[in-house]
Amino acid sequence: MTSFQTELGGGAGVAEELAESQRAISIAEFFEKNKHMLGFDSGARALVTAVKEGVDNSLDAAEEAGHLPDIYVEIREVGDYYRLVVEDNGPGITREQVPRVFGKLLYGSRFHKREQNRGQQGIGISAAVLYSQLTSGKPAKITSRTQEQDRARYFELVVDTDENEPEVRVEDGTTWDRAHGTRIELEMEANMRSRQALHDYVAQTAVVNPHARVELREPGLDESLKFERATDQLPAETEEIRPHPHGVELGQLIKLLEATDSYSVSGFLQEEFTRVGTKTARRVTDAFRDRYFGREMAWTPPRAGVSSLADDVAEAVANKTSEATAAFADDVADRLRGHDRASHGAVVRAADAAAADVEAAHGETFGATVRENAVAAAWAALTDPDRLRTDCYRLVDEATSTRKDDDAVEGLAERLVEKFDDSRHRATRADLRSYVDRSADPVEEAFDEPFGETARENVVEALWDATRTVDDDVPRVRDVAGDRDTASNLLEAMRATEILSPPTDCLAPITAELVEEGLRKEYDADFYTAVTRDAEVHGGDPFVVEAGIAYGGELEDGGPVDLLRFANRVPLVYQRGACAVTDVVKRIDWRNYELTQPGGSGMPQGPAVVLVHVASTNVPFTSESKDAVANVPEIEDEVELAVREAARDLKSHLKRRQSLNRRRRKREVLSEVLPQMADKVSTVTDRERPEVERALARIMNNVGVAHEVADGTATLRVRNHSDRSEEVEVTAILDAEPDDPPDRAGVVEMDGEWFLTWEPSVDAGETVELTYDVDADASAELQVDGVAPERLTVAGGGR
Amino acid sequence: MSTDVGVDDDDDRTPEERARERLVDLAAQFYDQMAGGDVPELRLPTRSKSNIEYDEESGVWVYGDRTSTRSANSVGGARKLLKATYAVEFLARQLEQNRSSTLRELYYLSESWDSEEAAFSDQSESDKLVEDLEIVTGVTREDFHMRPEESGATLIGPLEIVEQTRRGERRIHCQEDVGEGGYQIPNNPDTIEFVDHDCAFVLAVETGGMRDRLVENGFDDEMAALVVHLKGQPARATRRVTKRLHDELGLPVVVFTDGDPWSYRIYGSVAYGSIKSAHLSKYLATPEAQFVGIQPSDIVSYDLPTDPLSDSDVNALESELEDPRFQTDYWEDQIELQLDIGKKAEQQALAARGLDFVTDTYLPERLDEMDVI
Repeated sequence: MTSFQTELGGGAGVAEELAESQRAISIAEFFEKNKHMLGFDSGARALVTAVKEGVDNSLDAAEEAGHLPDIYVEIREVGDYYRLVVEDNGPGITREQVPRVFGKLLYGSRFHKREQNRGQQGIGISAAVLYSQLTSGKPAKITSRTQEQDRARYFELVVDTDENEPEVRVEDGTTWDRAHGTRIELEMEANMRSRQALHDYVAQTAVVNPHARVELREPGLDESLKFERATDQLPAETEEIRPHPHGVELGQLIKLLEATDSYSVSGFLQEEFTRVGTKTARRVTDAFRDRYFGREMAWTPPRAGVSSLADDVAEAVANKTSEATAAFADDVADRLRGHDRASHGAVVRAADAAAADVEAAHGETFGATVRENAVAAAWAALTDPDRLRTDCYRLVDEATSTRKDDDAVEGLAERLVEKFDDSRHRATRADLRSYVDRSADPVEEAFDEPFGETARENVVEALWDATRTVDDDVPRVRDVAGDRDTASNLLEAMRATEILSPPTDCLAPITAELVEEGLRKEYDADFYTAVTRDAEVHGGDPFVVEAGIAYGGELEDGGPVDLLRFANRVPLVYQRGACAVTDVVKRIDWRNYELTQPGGSGMPQGPAVVLVHVASTNVPFTSESKDAVANVPEIEDEVELAVREAARDLKSHLKRRQSLNRRRRKREVLSEVLPQMADKVSTVTDRERPEVERALARIMNNVGVAHEVADGTATLRVRNHSDRSEEVEVTAILDAEPDDPPDRAGVVEMDGEWFLTWEPSVDAGETVELTYDVDADASAELQVDGVAPERLTVAGGGR
Repeated sequence: MSTDVGVDDDDDRTPEERARERLVDLAAQFYDQMAGGDVPELRLPTRSKSNIEYDEESGVWVYGDRTSTRSANSVGGARKLLKATYAVEFLARQLEQNRSSTLRELYYLSESWDSEEAAFSDQSESDKLVEDLEIVTGVTREDFHMRPEESGATLIGPLEIVEQTRRGERRIHCQEDVGEGGYQIPNNPDTIEFVDHDCAFVLAVETGGMRDRLVENGFDDEMAALVVHLKGQPARATRRVTKRLHDELGLPVVVFTDGDPWSYRIYGSVAYGSIKSAHLSKYLATPEAQFVGIQPSDIVSYDLPTDPLSDSDVNALESELEDPRFQTDYWEDQIELQLDIGKKAEQQALAARGLDFVTDTYLPERLDEMDVI
């Protein structure tokens, strides 16, 4: 695998600088200068960052080893300092690796990998060690035990700031109750002013890592904060992948071209990129040839009998028998007529194929010279200027509006034909455009007929469609690498070719299901939804965006919604305003989704939590402290689509709720108005008060269920007043045994009560009945399922 | 004399009993709908300009075939029906007790009903409901004992009547037993009976000023004219009494108004009926009524003092040209003439030729032309 550095937003400069001048400056000096970028700029912030680095490392380690993470975080005041402990049940770290993992900056297995991990640069935890040692002067205390080890190993180490090398002060065996795992203890100058950020970080970590158990103990808490596991399902294991053709830049491409062992461009593409097989490689190389060589204009071949094509070819052949010559000439002509349009390349292929056929049939060799002459003759016949003008006129006429003056169209076609000055009629798309412009300008003048931008582009398009890819060999890899323009042609070709999205097995999205699970676990809301988008590509790195929304319930109302941002399952708690995710959420007009948003932009308001997760082999951050996602258009687009998709679910939920509310209000008013009306009409008519329940049920499109007993016959009736068919589950709990009820009802006796269940399907507007014999005094209690309570009217069943 | 629309005359129940019965029928209709598990509803003709048809046979304007349904299916519809049932109960009780009330009283009374939902939000709502009830029951407002707030207009002339008043039967001669103000038409003119008369024709006059001029000049006496004061756009009672005078006494009816487009509409509502009360056109309109003037041609022939036509006058004249009520040769000539001269004149403009001109010259000439005298 070729190694090269991808763009890391602002971070690239730091890492490159660091790598190049590692010996020139001391690591301590580097840290001092860059600690704001690494997230250690204040005591409050440093503590959160250190927790974050420790927990991220622990989660990655446990997951990599296939263990369900169990992480313990403790913060304790120790004199003027704070002591941080992060403990996990990961696989542990071997004795040799411990010093390098914790005591050397930029050490890690992930920097060069295209694989989704929480950490990427190998700066995090060692930066925390360095910060602790610089502020408290104390070494980091590491305890680690691998599964194979009988006892845990205990280390005290510092970073040698001159050499960027670990310096082990103490190493010893020790006893530890965990079977495997790692524990790091750091003492540092810090304060708890960012307690809220710390809690947010831990709580949000729990939301997106429902498979992890996390416990936090800190001085402000009476008892530790525990986030229990919601699933035993580990995130899918991730695979390392090669870059995707749509995601590389020119510089990267040239580097790859220079470093590859491949000889052909096709081989190079298949070797170095993901999702490129033979077929895709051919499509890319065709597109590359179109850009590098241009394409050859193909013209309609003359029909049999109306041209001298075969005669011309025959005439060009010398020193062959007349039978073979005639057979050859006819064969060439036939082959050309087999094309809708024939390019110079097609003529060459036709001559070659005809020559081979004739050689086989007549035993006469048609050598290169003969063939060349034949090609020249056939091409001349094919490109007879009168024919081309007609051909070209047809193309232009079809491509332009019918309102165009016919003479002008003819004039344009005539001029266009003259522009094909290359002997094989080769042209790039840009050439074609220039042909059209050079032809259209004088036509506009001469015929006073405008050929606007659209008309010109349409003509270019029609001509381009008529061209064919040339047969020339694709340039070699080293030629492409050596020439910037050629490489740029290749890059264009790669981008223009449709290629499958990169495989997602290098990514571990949380999945919509678990995002929703996580939200449910941590937020007591009425409604949850989550979305996982398909993978997309930015800068050669695939990424997946997920979004979730929780709404209502106990969530706080009256202010802006809570936005939770995550990158590779890590909560982003700082720099909200600088983050692309925030920008996108603010840009959406949430009023379309039934949330309040003064002015139609900015943070929406309401009792809601909006969660956005960006998973990628390389999440572009605005800085090394990894607090904010950079404004990469591809990522912004996907974030927007994901959030909108989730918001649509929210909207339909809110709409449904509104309609149920309206329904409830309507029902409230009507159940007041209709009985009053019934009272009045009964007074006026001097008749008994009429029942209004059925009228009410009909108005409310309701399902009415009633149970009546008369003369020892019980009737259970379901009336469907709605306009769609309903599946209703009715249970009548009787205090007497029903006598021989129909088979479609089931009866179960329990403690002197009979549970008669019936599950009828009732068409719109229909009524179904079930009758059976029962004791005349029997009474029933009705339970109905399958119909929303708002839509249900139960009558006559109560005791 | 029946006051119900389209009911047999040989019915010995009182109008009150019949009206009450119709109201109970309506309540029973709601009752049956509810009891049958149906959504209560009320079907009414659509009361808009687009659903008004000219009934060639009777020469009046009536509602067309289009109907609207007021149903308890919607909250608004349910409230309207509730108000209707409350109003029905109120009216039925009022009839039972032989009392009456004004439209405005009904509106205020609804505040006292035991259901807040049944109270009217404004008087136009209760007025409209009473009209709806007239339509669905076929009983007039007067027979519900509902009367408008304003007092009725007056008539004067050689006519003797008997009026059933709350204080007993009164026999009145509308010339000899009344002052110069004339006899005041009661809100329900069906409570009066024509006993005797010596009238040659009915002259309906738009303005009070002209009516007083005619009385002062003794026109009613001299010409045996029954002068009815329309007071602008005539009230239902005025139109009803005019119709009865024509139908029962066979008197020709002529209408005397200002010479402007709005006054032609006053004539139209006397003769053909109005949109708002199209359901009562057959009961209120007198299609045989003739127009005296002021005609646009009078402006020319008598050289009357005039005002220029305003834009809205011109629009009104033009829309009258489109109005089938006015699509006769006579009206087309007159309106086109008026548009042509661009002038209008009031009734009192005749005074420019002397105070007696109207009674000595103008009216006799016109009535002679019209074959009324």
